[in-house]
Amino acid sequence: MKEKMRIMVVDDEMIIRESFSHWFEKAGHMACTAGSGFEALEKLKQYPFDLLFVDIKMPGMDGIELLEWVKKNYPETFVVIITAYGSIESSVKAMKMGASDYLLKPFKPDQLNLVMEKISQQKKLTGEIDYLKGFLDTVTRFDNIIGQSRAMKEIFRLIPEIAESDTPVLITGETGTGKELVAKAIHAKSKRHNHPFIAINCGAMPDSLLESELFGHQKGAFTGAIHARKGFLEVVDGGTLFLDEIGEISAKMQVDLLRVLEEKKITRLGGRESINVNFRIISATSRNLEKEIEQNNFREDFYYRINVINLNIPPLRKRKTDILLLVNHFLKKYSRETTKQVDHVTDDAMELMKNYEWPGNVRELENAIERAVVLSKSRTLKVKDFSFIRSMPDDFRKTLSLGEVEKKYVQQILEQNNWNISRAAKILGIHRVTLHKKIKRLNLKKNNS
Amino acid sequence: MLKLSKPLIVGVAPVGKDSVFAARVIAAHISGYMNLKTEIIPTLNIPSFAYNEKRFQYNAGVILKSYEAMEFEYDKVIAVLNVDIFMPIFTHVFGEAKQGGKCGLVSVFRLKMEQDCIYPAPSLVYERAAKVALHELGHLFNLLHCEDHRCLMHFSGDLCQLDKTPFYFCRYCTAFLQGFYHFKS
Repeated sequence: MKEKMRIMVVDDEMIIRESFSHWFEKAGHMACTAGSGFEALEKLKQYPFDLLFVDIKMPGMDGIELLEWVKKNYPETFVVIITAYGSIESSVKAMKMGASDYLLKPFKPDQLNLVMEKISQQKKLTGEIDYLKGFLDTVTRFDNIIGQSRAMKEIFRLIPEIAESDTPVLITGETGTGKELVAKAIHAKSKRHNHPFIAINCGAMPDSLLESELFGHQKGAFTGAIHARKGFLEVVDGGTLFLDEIGEISAKMQVDLLRVLEEKKITRLGGRESINVNFRIISATSRNLEKEIEQNNFREDFYYRINVINLNIPPLRKRKTDILLLVNHFLKKYSRETTKQVDHVTDDAMELMKNYEWPGNVRELENAIERAVVLSKSRTLKVKDFSFIRSMPDDFRKTLSLGEVEKKYVQQILEQNNWNISRAAKILGIHRVTLHKKIKRLNLKKNNS
Repeated sequence: MLKLSKPLIVGVAPVGKDSVFAARVIAAHISGYMNLKTEIIPTLNIPSFAYNEKRFQYNAGVILKSYEAMEFEYDKVIAVLNVDIFMPIFTHVFGEAKQGGKCGLVSVFRLKMEQDCIYPAPSLVYERAAKVALHELGHLFNLLHCEDHRCLMHFSGDLCQLDKTPFYFCRYCTAFLQGFYHFKS
């Protein structure tokens, strides 16, 4: 069945507008009208249209100007030029500027029908191309990491080189910068890509559980161990193990993992036999591990074992040239997921996003776009759609120390959520256990005032 | 689904004396193909203000508005004209009806025009008029243009297409009509 289209007829003569919408109504399309180019612009900013029928001669903004504006801002919208003052020159000009067709008023009924069939086929083809492009995006390995800044280009250059070897990698960077995506890209580019990629958030589970998850256990190893179970170090066989928030693991676990990395052998909890394991380790942390070593919170030998290659991902505030790309990427993603066609951001809103510090980095930006898309009532996101990101106190933006930024931000989110740990952890994009640890480490207290 | 307490009656009105026979043929086709009761209404007049002096044609939208404003004791009315009618964007139309409206128009003027220097036989002209009438009646019952080129609700932009269209409603359009009244295909 042919897809029904959203059509706008732009003509200064009401009788023509009515005539068109009457015909489109009978064909089952959704038609609306605009009496001038400016009215059409306003409607286009509010709602997406598949097809525009535009009269060339109109007071104020004429059809050619409107065509130029539409093709610049909404290139996916088809435009058919209509006029009673037909001339070869104007039709050639309109076609060169991207008009899909040209009709001289009055036209034979079958001419309009032919134009509609042609547009419908073009729209179908465009839809198929978009789908295939989207499909390619998902299978293209680097396309999941987005950036055009020098720092990100350097990371893109390093990933294939790092992937070739089997050496441990430590990815450092603030929370929300995309450390796991980089780890996945390294795995995908490596010769281990046909084997599993297992990601474990070390900060999300208590020590005993992490030990059981990594090493597995024999039947009866502890209360509740009613079956023998393989650990991730066994399951990952031949693949890549990604240990996120490695800075959160206990000293005992560091020793255990150090031994595994050196010997490539494990023993299940409650077991006696050594099992050979084959994996590559990629770790990530948002903490300064060298500082942790100085404070005796992290073992130096383990640090050097996991940090053979170090990859630092810069925070979003240091690569603001990436913001535009990321915003467009997330707009596409959430427009598709929410089936709401929100595909533009005003210059003011973009400026606001470029000036904002993004303490939660790409994750915060993604959440902001998702929230704005979900709540938006028009196809264009404006400054007011991002009012929530301006709610931060001014001194927050002036903070220089990373530790202070983290402390203030976590405190603020906790206060906003009345110290509801689950809700705050969800907003911060971290596990509840990690948030508890952060509260303890940052010495955060409930502000009773 | 609209539940009807009494059977639908379609009035077929000739506009001008030379449309009377065409109106009878159309009424017979509506009864035969759409299983509806039909009655011939006394001749209607074309409102003079519908005439466009620049185009030497009658504005179908204006005629339709004037007939829609009249009170008929029929559920739907098809007016049969013998003048050239147009919509402002089109050079001409064979018929016109508002989606879900009460009145529809059929013009025989262009249905009897020559094609490749051959004038059509009267039987072909009446057959075309009946197809246009059934199509417009479909719009009055809220049917949209159909993708199936064999269906009477498929849009016919010229006489060639109209001649290729059989007297047949596709199964989707049939099902839609059955929602309105006891339609038998």
